[in-house]
Amino acid sequence: MSRLYLRFYFALLGSLVLFALITAVISHHFVGPVDRASRTLGKLIQNALPPADAPAAEQHEALLRLTHGLHANVVLVAAHHAPIAMVGDPLPIPDDAWQRGEWRQPWKDDTIWMTHLPDGRWLAASAPIGLARPAHALMVTLLALALAVAVGAYPIVRRLTKRLERLQRGVESLGAGDLSARVAVEGGDEVARLAESFNRAAARIESVVGAHKALLANASHELRTPLARIRMAIELMKETADARRKAGLDQDIAELDRLIDEILLSSRLDAVVDHEVDEDVDLYVLAAEECARYADVQLDGRSVQLRGDPRLLRRMLRNLLENAQRHGRPPIQVDITQRDASIALCVSDAGAPIPAEQRERLFEPFYRRQGGNDGGGAGLGLALVRQIARRHGGDAQCVALGDDRSGFVVELPMRH
Amino acid sequence: MAERLLLVEDDARLAEMLAEYLGEAGFRVTAAGSGAAALERLAAGEFDALVLDLMLPDMDGLDVCRQLRAHSDLPVLMLTARGDATDRIVGLELGADDYLPKPFQPRELLARLRAILRRRGSGSVSDAPLRFGRLEIDRAARALRLDGRVCTITSYQFSLLLVLADNAGRVLTRDGLMDLLKGEQLESFDRSIDVHISRIRAAIEDDPKHPRRIITLRGAGYLFARSQD
Repeated sequence: MSRLYLRFYFALLGSLVLFALITAVISHHFVGPVDRASRTLGKLIQNALPPADAPAAEQHEALLRLTHGLHANVVLVAAHHAPIAMVGDPLPIPDDAWQRGEWRQPWKDDTIWMTHLPDGRWLAASAPIGLARPAHALMVTLLALALAVAVGAYPIVRRLTKRLERLQRGVESLGAGDLSARVAVEGGDEVARLAESFNRAAARIESVVGAHKALLANASHELRTPLARIRMAIELMKETADARRKAGLDQDIAELDRLIDEILLSSRLDAVVDHEVDEDVDLYVLAAEECARYADVQLDGRSVQLRGDPRLLRRMLRNLLENAQRHGRPPIQVDITQRDASIALCVSDAGAPIPAEQRERLFEPFYRRQGGNDGGGAGLGLALVRQIARRHGGDAQCVALGDDRSGFVVELPMRH
Repeated sequence: MAERLLLVEDDARLAEMLAEYLGEAGFRVTAAGSGAAALERLAAGEFDALVLDLMLPDMDGLDVCRQLRAHSDLPVLMLTARGDATDRIVGLELGADDYLPKPFQPRELLARLRAILRRRGSGSVSDAPLRFGRLEIDRAARALRLDGRVCTITSYQFSLLLVLADNAGRVLTRDGLMDLLKGEQLESFDRSIDVHISRIRAAIEDDPKHPRRIITLRGAGYLFARSQD
């Protein structure tokens, strides 16, 4: 019963049942035993009348005496439906339907009221006789009330929660990246105010993300144009410059370019991206291409298909291999295994195992390893690995493997 | 040859150096610093190619390309710093002939510029060469170039390479490779396919011992890398 409208609705029905129970208790204690009172009345009338097998004239006389000054039409009916005596205008003789326990019948513009005598006779009159309606009539009334409320309340509750569901769909499409998602504001109640707040928040997010995107595009241009200038200048220096220094400068530019790329990619992955690439990718083929870039990388596994962005997945593989190359020790081993609906990519090397307390911190941007002999920080490489893995519905971990090896394991779902 | 080049780049210093570099390479370079100036120059003068930066102060480089394409099929090489795949796709769809992200290697710019001019000269626009990083496979001319230099392989090896390149990013078994080749050529198979592969590798790999373009997958077959360099 997770749906809100069902909860509302069942709460309403529950309170109706409670109300019925309370009413039943009250009527039992304060209104009294209606059925027994009716039976007593029937017995009293029977005692006041001659016995059922007395002559009709005698019964008629007794009925006249009994209804004296009543100003009503009264008929006394035998158990086998034959009228015995009558006072005033004739009333219809009770039929079977009457005997099923009904205590009144509409007749012309009037109503016929009845009392059943213990010996089987009926007394019908155009004026109310008997104490009150039988007990089950009260329950019928309550049930009718419950039914009316149940039927009446359903559309109201449903409409209310339908609006909430529309709001939820709006929030979900915003979360899924449709930043222009807005919801219709209907009425002036709390739900409408919530919808207004959502629209305001969505507009803000849209403008902030838009500004972020513009900043990213401009930052990329502003940072890379000077790099292009430097590269151009190096090329123009030609023979005048020392070849080794030139190569060093080229490498510095490549490093800076890579860093800019990673920072921009990282913030792009953080932001909601509307152009999400979702293609069939063979991770094994990507890994084979990337492993071929290094001399001593061993790849094991077989073809595994998943859905995702091949450029991002390639970047993830490259960063893992780059990390193993820079901070680990060869040989580097890459394993791709498939378990049920998930793919495990493991990149390990023969370097010293990474202490347990450092494993999680490796994924922090620009984290510097304690006691690392490489001097440099890790940059954004591993942070990006995790971002890309999570974007594909998986995750990246640093784990200890057997025989003093440690490595990185990326788990990816086959479909997401 | 003195081909006339219009260089549209808003960064004055980069434009100056590019003009000097391309001038030394034998081009006659005219520079324009804005989209409006570029369109004006394009309307006035005759050029053989356009080098266009996407980020311009007054308008988007994509718009310049779109307006140019409305009346001209001038070869266009786009320069961009955005590095976003969608920009690249939009640029190529708008009719740019090639695309180079900043910061580019000047020599690569030169090689690509010459490639698009050569392609226009030969007139075979539809049969554009396959390009994998520094490697260019010209199907029409049955020519293979690395960094713009022609590599020599046999005709049979070229067919083999074409089959591999057409299936870049897909694992091909030896049998599958032979099946695909049979349709192309009916040369009797005197040597094993591996020998031909190693000959091709010797021609196109920087280090044939550690191939990065044609990769061997143990027990599976060959893979021509989709992403090289």
